[in-house]
Amino acid sequence: MEAKDIISSGILELYALGIASHEEVVQVEQWLLNYLEVKEELYHIENAIEEYAKANAVEPSATLKERIINKIDFDKSITPDTFHSSNVLIPVSNNKTDQKVYTISTFFKWAAAACFVLLLGSLALNYSYFNKYKAAKSDLQVAQTELSKTKEVASAMSHDMDVVTDKNARPVVLNGTPHAPDALAKIFWMKDSGEVYVDPSNLPQPSTGKQYQLWAIVDGKPVDAGMISLQKGIYKIQKMKSFGSAQAFAITLEKAGGSPTPTMDEMYVMAKVI
Amino acid sequence: MEVKKYSEGELISGLRNQEANAFSYLYDNYGGALFGIIFKLVEDKELSEDIMQEAFIKIWNNFENYDSAKGRLFTWMLNITRNLTIDTLRSKGYKKQAKIHNNENTVDNFVDISSGADKFDSLGIRKHLTHLKNDQKQIIDLAYFSGFTQDEISKQLSIPLGTVKTRMRTAIMALRKLLGN
Repeated sequence: MEAKDIISSGILELYALGIASHEEVVQVEQWLLNYLEVKEELYHIENAIEEYAKANAVEPSATLKERIINKIDFDKSITPDTFHSSNVLIPVSNNKTDQKVYTISTFFKWAAAACFVLLLGSLALNYSYFNKYKAAKSDLQVAQTELSKTKEVASAMSHDMDVVTDKNARPVVLNGTPHAPDALAKIFWMKDSGEVYVDPSNLPQPSTGKQYQLWAIVDGKPVDAGMISLQKGIYKIQKMKSFGSAQAFAITLEKAGGSPTPTMDEMYVMAKVI
Repeated sequence: MEVKKYSEGELISGLRNQEANAFSYLYDNYGGALFGIIFKLVEDKELSEDIMQEAFIKIWNNFENYDSAKGRLFTWMLNITRNLTIDTLRSKGYKKQAKIHNNENTVDNFVDISSGADKFDSLGIRKHLTHLKNDQKQIIDLAYFSGFTQDEISKQLSIPLGTVKTRMRTAIMALRKLLGN
């Protein structure tokens, strides 16, 4: 059979498409060895079919490649690391073992490495965030303490203002005596209830162990009206004992806790009530 | 990462040496084309992928059997893949069916399910294939996709057995003309 007859018969097309009969296959293989033209023709036919195949390609899932690669026994001499690094020439190894070689794919190696890096990053972030958290917590505590102090002051102020602005409040200014000419105190005496409030903010700071005591002079006799507290930093008008009537008020410096009778030498301020 | 381009000779020698890179290239270059055949026959993505996996493992493990004197690499892989697919379907009780319909443009049908095919259609020949006559396309597809024997093709197309070869010859010639070789 001449080469051109073989070519025009269509047997090469069937061969290339894989549907030639067994006898035909044997024959074509023989011709391929003998006729260069037949070989060339087959090459073109196969090329056309290959292009046709590619034009009809369907993409499988992206993960399939990795799945297949994981199933393949690459030769021991070829580490999976070379898989992605191209252009590495690997020597031919003829002593293939029948033993199954389990390899970890590069993908998972990288994934493991990435996980480790992420873990380290996470730990560092955790540490940093924990420190920030501690700092924030302590800042918050400071702020809360300050806020509660401020609230206390504000509440005291508000209370003071209530006293000062009360329509029944009768203000009495207690002026300094010759013993303490610069001292001054104010009393707000409520006409309706007899409640007495004192504003001690202009009294000098008492020495330790001493405390100011308010006295009301009722029917010519001094009556204890209560101890005055001078809490540092907080301006505070404080409520004393109530009096229905009084002719005068005075403040003396006594030992802490107070005295049954006033120490006249230590009178700082006083005022008569008209 | 730059991917090495293999000539067919380089690819074959790489596969003989069991180079993982060569396998990777083989998959990238022919995977879609082979999957196209499997999917066309199976019409089930999961099963198609199982068959694809088995086919590539078979190609890899039996690569020493490939003889370049007997034909191109793709032809060899095509036969392994298609035979495996048909055997699998048969074992599952499927019957070989002509899924190629005369009035439909097979290639265009494929476009719907194979957006990835563009990657392989490097010469943009899919467009040209629409110029292939229906009866020419049909006879190629019966052999290529369905793996019909000559006898089955002659029955399917109601043509004498002796005509199958010449019809196929004419159809492939038309295809080659469209491809410009």
